[in-house]
Parts: sequence; structure tokens; C-alpha cells
Amino acid sequence: MRYVLIDRFLELERGERARAVKCVTRGEPFVGDAYPSALVLEALLQTGGVLARSGSGFKTMSVLGKVERAAFPVEAHPGDRIQLDVRAVRTRPEGTVCEGVATVDGKVVGEAEFMIVFLPEELAPPQDPGVTEVRRNLMRALAIPLEES
Amino acid sequence: MDDQEIFTKVQKCVADALGRDEDEVQPDKALQRDLEAESIDYLDITFQLEKVFGITIEKDELFPQKIFQDEAYVRDGVVTEQGIEFLKEKLPFADLATFREDPKVTRVPDLFTVGLLCNYVKMKLSSA
Repeated sequence: MRYVLIDRFLELERGERARAVKCVTRGEPFVGDAYPSALVLEALLQTGGVLARSGSGFKTMSVLGKVERAAFPVEAHPGDRIQLDVRAVRTRPEGTVCEGVATVDGKVVGEAEFMIVFLPEELAPPQDPGVTEVRRNLMRALAIPLEES
Repeated sequence: MDDQEIFTKVQKCVADALGRDEDEVQPDKALQRDLEAESIDYLDITFQLEKVFGITIEKDELFPQKIFQDEAYVRDGVVTEQGIEFLKEKLPFADLATFREDPKVTRVPDLFTVGLLCNYVKMKLSSA
């Protein structure tokens, strides 16, 4: 089971921009006094992955292609609510370049530019109906709008 | 935009995408063979060229995924004359002169040089 580092999506403009939150808790196994920067990046990437896939109505599978740049000026700590803002900068049939900023109370705890790549159909894993249903339930739990309103 | 300006901008795009010094990015350098480009880098280069030159690159127009679909184009690992004509049509901006001297299919990736990118951009800008 993959770990999901997003607690909820607050806003999603399909293929354009997304806002999500991740609440930092001391109960997570890898959190000490500070939340690891690598996981702030992972949360941004996961937000970007959903944003990129939303452009096709979640019909495509995607993977991380490249992280162009990343910086973590300030640490996040247990009890913080990290706001994850990601926008699609450039989109092509093969993938999307995203810029993301993670903030806590307006202070930047992470920012990155990265590329999400869409898997061609022949490389995408077979769609097991059981797994698809689990995935859709997870997306509903994260308040990701599966259908266009 | 003149050829030198096109080259300077293409050079920067490729250097940025591949994490290389600009000095290493010269017209005769093949993206894969000399600059160690990987598949993800071709997409990055495509994004960069679109942004810098304000052009739209259609899917498979610059870096076709599958070039030779017809058996008549390749025989015993060598691109046939029919295959070379097909390459000319598919990649009108490629320099095929050297390739013709030794048209092994394994040499096709070497066609994709920095110079090819410059020719492509020049073609796109002149048709805009």
C-alpha cells in the first residue's frame, strides 16, 4: 500500500491548479521534531500528480519524471497544517510541468518545480476493478472531485 | 531570429535539460550518444523549446516514438533505401548525408543532434 501524504484537497481546477492540505502529526513513524523535507516534497509531488491526471479526467496513469529544483527554507513541525499549492505551468500530451509551494501559516516550508509524465497505455498497469474501486474511494476520501461539475 | 541566436537558445535549453555545461552542447553532438540524454530528457527538451521559442511541437513531430513500422524500411539491421526516404519525409530537418554512408538502424538515434534541434526550430519559426 502506497503512503498518501495528502489529507484533503481544498480546491481543484482540472489541469490548472490545486490546493491541498497535509497535517503533520508526531504519530507518523518518521516524524521527530521536524517534518522531513523529502516528505514535504513528496506531498507536493502527490498533489501535482492528481492535478496532472485531473486534466484527462483521471483516465491516464502518471509517474514522476523529474524534479527540476526544490528548496526548503524553513522546517515544518508536528501540529503544523501544511498548505500545498500546485499549478500546471506547461502541459503536453506526454506530461505536465508543475510548480508547487508548501506553506505553514504563510511561511514557505518547501517549493519545487517538477515534471509529471503520463504513462502510455501499453506501459500502464492493468486496471484491476478491485484496485480501481479502492483508488476511487481514496480519491473521494481526499475530496478529489472525480466528475467534472 | 538568425542562426546564431537560434543556436544560443537551443544550446541553453539542452544544457538546462541535461544538466550540462553549455560548452559541451555543440551542433555536432548527438543527444543520446554524446550528451547521455535519457527518454525523460527528450520531453524536458521539448517543453523548453516550446517555452523559449513560443512554438508548438506536436506529439512525435520532433522525437517520434516509433519510426519504422513497416518491414520494408529495415532489413538485417540496415535501413533500406525506402526506409531512408521515409526518414527524409518524417524528419525533413535531419541531416541524412552521413547516415546514408552507414545506414545501420542502431545509428538512427545519432541523427538527433543539437544541430537537428536548431534546424527544426528554424523550420518551425519560418512556417509560423
